Order: sequence, then structure tokens, then C-alpha cells
Amino acid sequence: GLRFASTTVSLKTETEVDTSENEVVAPDFTNRNPRNLEQLALARKERGWKTTWPKRDFWHRLRLERTQHYVEAFVERCNGEVVVSASTREWAIKRHLYSPKGVAACKNLGRVMAQRCLEAGINFVNFKAIIPWEHCCDSIQEFEKAMEEGGVVLREPRRLYQ
Amino acid sequence: MAAPLLSAALRGTRRGRSFGTAAVLWKRAAPLGPMPNEDVDVSNLEALEKYRSFTRYFRLAEQERRKPCWWNTYHKHTNPAAEPQTDISLPRERLSRTKEVKERKRILRENRRNAEMERAARLQTVLIPLDDVRAEWEKTSGPFHKQRVAEHCGVFRDLFRGATFTPWVALRVQYSQEDEHLVPVYHGNMVTPSEASNPPAVSYEADKGSLWTLLLTNPDGHLRDADSEYLHWLVTNIPGNDIRSGKEMCHYLPPFPARGTGYHRFIFLLFKQLCPIDFSQDARPTPCHSLKMRTFSTFDFYRKHEDAMTPAGLAFFQCQWDSSVTSTFHQLLNMREPVFEFVRPPVYHPPQVKFPRHQPLRYLDRYRDTEEPTYGIY
Repeated sequence: GLRFASTTVSLKTETEVDTSENEVVAPDFTNRNPRNLEQLALARKERGWKTTWPKRDFWHRLRLERTQHYVEAFVERCNGEVVVSASTREWAIKRHLYSPKGVAACKNLGRVMAQRCLEAGINFVNFKAIIPWEHCCDSIQEFEKAMEEGGVVLREPRRLYQ
Repeated sequence: MAAPLLSAALRGTRRGRSFGTAAVLWKRAAPLGPMPNEDVDVSNLEALEKYRSFTRYFRLAEQERRKPCWWNTYHKHTNPAAEPQTDISLPRERLSRTKEVKERKRILRENRRNAEMERAARLQTVLIPLDDVRAEWEKTSGPFHKQRVAEHCGVFRDLFRGATFTPWVALRVQYSQEDEHLVPVYHGNMVTPSEASNPPAVSYEADKGSLWTLLLTNPDGHLRDADSEYLHWLVTNIPGNDIRSGKEMCHYLPPFPARGTGYHRFIFLLFKQLCPIDFSQDARPTPCHSLKMRTFSTFDFYRKHEDAMTPAGLAFFQCQWDSSVTSTFHQLLNMREPVFEFVRPPVYHPPQVKFPRHQPLRYLDRYRDTEEPTYGIY
């Protein structure tokens, strides 16, 4: 980076010299933000893997894991890296719940997860990684309703191809 | 399996044409590690424990998929193994866990005895207070989650060239609007440039007599050089909590992401100082509207002062073009507004072959130099 050591130059000539150089702009612009393309719906989704389940054509996927003792929710990318997570194992959530498993836990986990997703800037999530015959059970329905009410859309926008 | 491959290879070399099979298969050798399902005893199938349900199988399969393996996978190819990163966070004293664990167990036992909570859980009417949960989260697992999200948005890769830190100090940044509406800045949420036109209200927990530095950079918006950032705000030697009494080295410039460039990250960094530092080298003149002077590199800045300050807090937001950016370019920066367009990378076609197999007539269109496709859908 360039450093400017402040010298005793009159303010008027400084501002003239300063802003005249602003006009010089490089013709190619590179945006290093890794989230830029997916927020503009221009990034590639992994369209292969069509003979396996779950498929990997998403930017962010919401995965709900219900074990015998806890309920955990993860938002991850297609390469498996977890971005946002919430679980009833965390003290912040566990202390307010009677039991860390069950429908009430799933519902409250959904509310907390929706808040954390919005804070991290994740507004669209893919929620297809649930087993179809488990999808109609109470806890997952309550979790989905809580996420929708929290403001997260459970459907990723289609990629822009033209 | 190996014998026909060997003869095919020999025939190929005699003819003089090159072929492309994996070089590993040219001779038989022992596998480089344990094969999957080697430990399962297949001789007595009735004695094995069965899955009996898809859920159990699926959970185990997902766990196995995440484990590292010795063969090459697409995952290893796309995500190269990261080098161990240096940790530059504030040192934290480890409190005794036994007392904390005892206290938590006591609270959980009380919850279990509470009949009200049991009834609410049974009737599914429990609604936990989200504000309390967030306050507790900021104290316990918040810093790790923020570090993870920041890692995801490439903050450490671009600002510190790989060195990471855990933001132990919770930095609360809020932009206030004209109608008393507050727009908070968390780790990655969207804020428009019109909302961010005035300096925000920054608050954090600080001991009396401690000194802090607040920095706002934009690593994505540089119009000339892709590797440097723009400095938007620099306030140094802040005593305790009070931003206004700190020395403002560079006054606040509202965000100006150019049109067509998409979302830019604007990152607030809070450094804790051990002693008052002399930042006269980084001082910019008071109305600094020159982009050349605002060009900045956080890595060099931190390297210069790394003995006296450590990063303690982090908050960032994503910002897109907005009509107020035009007025920033025209009035404050005194320049014409640059407008960019997204250029898609060219479509990949494999090298052209003289006799393509199973290709339609439009195969020729793909390699023609001129743009007109003459074969249409054929």
C-alpha cells in the first residue's frame, strides 16, 4: 500500500492534486469477495452428482441432525465447510430448555438458527437434505416453520445463465 | 483385470500413439491403505448387526464420507489442505472449568425439577428469550462462530494473509438513520451505502485506562490495484469505550462500491493497544478525498505496529451499489462514476479433434473464429 507522510503543503493545492488522480481507473476490476458471486446468483452450483442423494447443487445447505440426546443444525457449503451452526449442546440454548431433544427444542433451535443466519448474511438456504418420510414429522415441521418465520427463505434462487 | 491392460499398453507403445490411462495402474501393487469395509466379517451374515432403518445407515454414511481417506478424491482436488495458520488473537486467561460446570449442572437440575418448564415442553409452547440467548452466545461460543464466518468470507486470507484471530471482544456497530431506525452490523449482513453514509455508533466492553484502535477497510473496492484496500475510517488511541475522544487519523468516508461490481466487504477491526502508539505515519489530511492516499494495506499496517497492538474485535457487512454512491463519487471524490459489467469466463471446449465421435454438426461452430453459428440446432 502507499503511505502519505503529511507535509506542510497548502490545503488548496493538495485537494487539487489529490482528486485529479482519482479519475485513473484500471479497466479490469477484480472482486476478491468469495461470497460476491453467490449473492449475485452468478456462481456455479455443482450440477453433477445426479445419481446420488443428497445432490450438491446449492450454495448453502441447511442440515438438521436429530440424535437421541441433542438436536443440531448446520448451514454448510457444498465442499462441506460449516458456516453457521446452532445446537442444543451450547450452554446459551441448553439453559432455557427443559430437554435438549424433542419438538420444543427443534422449534427454538429454528428460531435461534434463523437469527444467526440473518446475522451472517445468509438469506437463502437449500433444505432438501432431509429424508422424505421423516419430513412430515412434528419436529422437522416446527423447525421449518420457525426458520420461515425468522426470515430465512428455504429455497435457493436459480442461477442466472445468460 | 491387469493383464489385458498391460497388453493394451504394450500394443499402444508399439504403434507409437500415446494414450492416457492412470499411470498407477501399469503394474499390480498392494493398496496404499486399508480398503473400505475390510473390517466387516462377511462369512457369518446372520450374526452381523443390521441397520434396520435408513436413518441409521445415512448418518453413519455421512460420518464416513467426512473422514479423510488415502485415495484421491474430488474434495481433495478442489480443497487443497490448508497450512497451519498463526493465531494473533488476544491472550485469554483460562478460568477454572470445575466451578463453571458445577454451576451449569445445578441450573440444569433445577430446570428438570421445574413443573412449569416440563408442561411448556410437553405442550410445545416454549419460546426461549432470543436476546438472552444472544448475550450468552456472545460470551461463550460467539467468538468461534464469528471467526468461522469471517474465514468463510475470506477476511483473514485478504487482510492478514492467512493469520487468524478469535475476536474475543464483542464489537457492536450500529448505523442510525433519520427516522430513529437502527441498522446493526453483524458478521456479514447487508447494509446499503445510503444507510452507511454517516459514521456509526460503536460500542464494546473496555476496562478503564485501556487503549484501542478502530479501523474500517474495504478489501474489494480498489479501482486500480486488486491486492490493496481502501481505508474508510481510522481512529486511534481510544481511551476505554469513548470513540469521540480518540484521535481520528482518517475521517469517515461513506462506502462507494462501484456499479456492476457486486457486493463488497467492509470490515471493522478493533485492536487493543498495550501503550499509546504514535500513528503519525498513518495520518491522512483532514478532508482526505484522494483515493491514492486512502490506499491501504492492513497487513503492512499491522506488521508495523504488531508489537504494541493485537486484534480483538471484528464486524463486517456486505454492501452493494446504490444511488447515493453516485453522489459520493461526484461530490466527495470529484470524479466520474466508473460503471463495470460482469464478464463471464469463456466456455471451455476440449481441443478440437479431426474425427469427433458422437458430436452434432454444431461441433464445428464451437471452434470457428467468427461468431456466426451456421448450423443452428444441428
